[in-house]
Amino acid sequence: MSRPLQQKNTRILLNWLPLVMLGGSIFFYFLMRGHILHMQEQQLHLKQDNIWRAFQNSPGGMPLSIQGEYKILPDAPLSFQPMGRPRDTILRFPGCPSEAFSLLTSRINDKGKSYLVTTFISSTEVTHLMIKIALAEALIFFLLLAAVVIVNRRISNRLWAPFYATMDNIRRYDVRHNKPLRLATATSVEEFDRLNQTLTSLIDNVDHAYHNQKQFTENAAHELQTPLAIIRSKVELMMEGPGLNEEMAQLLGEISDANERLSQMSRNLLLLTRIENGQYPEGEVVDLSRLVEKQTAFFRDYYENEVAETRIDIESGVQLAANSSLMEILVNNLLRNAYIHNVSGGYVQIQLSRTELLIENSGQPVEGDPERLFDRFKKGREDNRTTGLGLALVHQICQLYRFGLHYGYHSGIHRLRVTFPAGAF
Amino acid sequence: MKLLVIEDEPSLLASITRYFRKELFLCEEASTFDDALHKIEDFHYDCIILDINLPGGSGLQLLKLLRDDRKNDGVIILSARDSLDDKITGLDYGADDYLTKPFHLPELSARVKSLLRRKYSDGGTSVDLEGLHIDLNARAVTTAGQAVPLSKIEYDLLIFLVTNKNRVVSRQAIAEHLYDGPSDQAPGPEFVYSHIKNLKRKLKEKGCNEIIQTVYGLGYKLVL
Repeated sequence: MSRPLQQKNTRILLNWLPLVMLGGSIFFYFLMRGHILHMQEQQLHLKQDNIWRAFQNSPGGMPLSIQGEYKILPDAPLSFQPMGRPRDTILRFPGCPSEAFSLLTSRINDKGKSYLVTTFISSTEVTHLMIKIALAEALIFFLLLAAVVIVNRRISNRLWAPFYATMDNIRRYDVRHNKPLRLATATSVEEFDRLNQTLTSLIDNVDHAYHNQKQFTENAAHELQTPLAIIRSKVELMMEGPGLNEEMAQLLGEISDANERLSQMSRNLLLLTRIENGQYPEGEVVDLSRLVEKQTAFFRDYYENEVAETRIDIESGVQLAANSSLMEILVNNLLRNAYIHNVSGGYVQIQLSRTELLIENSGQPVEGDPERLFDRFKKGREDNRTTGLGLALVHQICQLYRFGLHYGYHSGIHRLRVTFPAGAF
Repeated sequence: MKLLVIEDEPSLLASITRYFRKELFLCEEASTFDDALHKIEDFHYDCIILDINLPGGSGLQLLKLLRDDRKNDGVIILSARDSLDDKITGLDYGADDYLTKPFHLPELSARVKSLLRRKYSDGGTSVDLEGLHIDLNARAVTTAGQAVPLSKIEYDLLIFLVTNKNRVVSRQAIAEHLYDGPSDQAPGPEFVYSHIKNLKRKLKEKGCNEIIQTVYGLGYKLVL
């Protein structure tokens, strides 16, 4: 699973640092314990030496045993072998809780006599000391962990700042808008400089290819117009020819139909590229109510023999700032679509309000994916009456003006809804 | 009637002049800016068909020179550019009409004739043919004293056919003519026949002769 860099970083630190610290703590504990036990042993030896010296100087002048301090056993049986290493024991004092002690027993031979000298040191204090040191160590490790995480976050924030800036720039970049991408060239981190250079040249190439492609489409569509116009005029001259017979007429009709479609297609392609290029300035106030009324009146009359009913509900005075040609194309294509993809005796319903333009019509369901209805050259059904660019134009215009565009089909009724953003009026 | 066609594409120029010569127009041609300039300076034309993109200069410039010279030749601008600016500039400079390429020859012919009619009509704005009387101002059609009730589309259709009488007019040309807006947004020609059918039926009901012929499904022709 992908997570933000910082979270990931912190997560790795939190996963591994405590493990390292735990290992370190265990090592530290044993090291410390070893040193303390060694120190205890040294003290026991020292104490033994002192007591033995005192015992020798005044034999009989000091007791043979003091609870918790020492114990001298004269005439020790030779069979008993002292360990020569300290060991733990528990001593009981009358009226006190029992306590842990360390003891060391050594055999000392003096003037033919054998003594067993045992010295005691309380180990309770040493245990307390070890617990205190362990607690202090835990606290220090915890603070260290927090500090490492915080410092790390700060550093990575600062280090990665140019990267985030680049990402932000790229996210906002859109090849369709004619705004160049500007990435920092000196970020003080060599890798990021290289990244920015690479991205800049990559996007420059993409941008160049995109504009070439667009220019090509526009030029091609534009240059096609003249030969298409020539073909059209020649066909029209031939129609008047004296030798026109039925076979020729049929051929001419087919040439003419194909030519008209080609012509329409190239004009629509030209329109699409021009809209993409932002060659249609706004700054006009378009009376949408009047436009829809006028267009509807024409289409209603033109298709009156095919589409039985046209229902109109147009709110008057709906105006918006847009390009009048584009708005005309939008309304025209929506209406034409509704009338052409209809059924005999069907209906078209047009509703216009300040928030939306709703066009509803009876018709056969769309073949294929309705999501792709607005794609270029996507036709609802195979027929030669459309260029497959009409709804692509609608889509493009809606995108330009940030209108919403929604399509729905339900039991024989197509519904196209264009919603206007709140600030459009 | 004298016509000057200024167009740099020789093939299109030939089509236009050939089309108009069939109707006994006197047609002259010019294919460059200088050629056109000499002709409009030296002669008077009833109508000039003017392409905007010319080798050696802009058609708009020619129009400006013409109007500065106080010549009132009728001018119809042709332009491949469908930008609104050209249209507005053209009409501002004193063009009488504006047609976007590609156009239909019958459409150009209708524009020329309508211009000439406006220019030379002395108030008489009616057409009489085969017992059919058309009042262009009132947009009313009568035959043998009886009014023929036509829808707007049927009336426009009839006028277009009358203007191009004895010529074949394609279904596409009709569809584009009927649409009151940019020609590239006109609906397809597939429903033209139903309007023709209605028009023919209405004329027949009032006792008018069958003057509209169907030409092999290619188009229609009003025959006198």
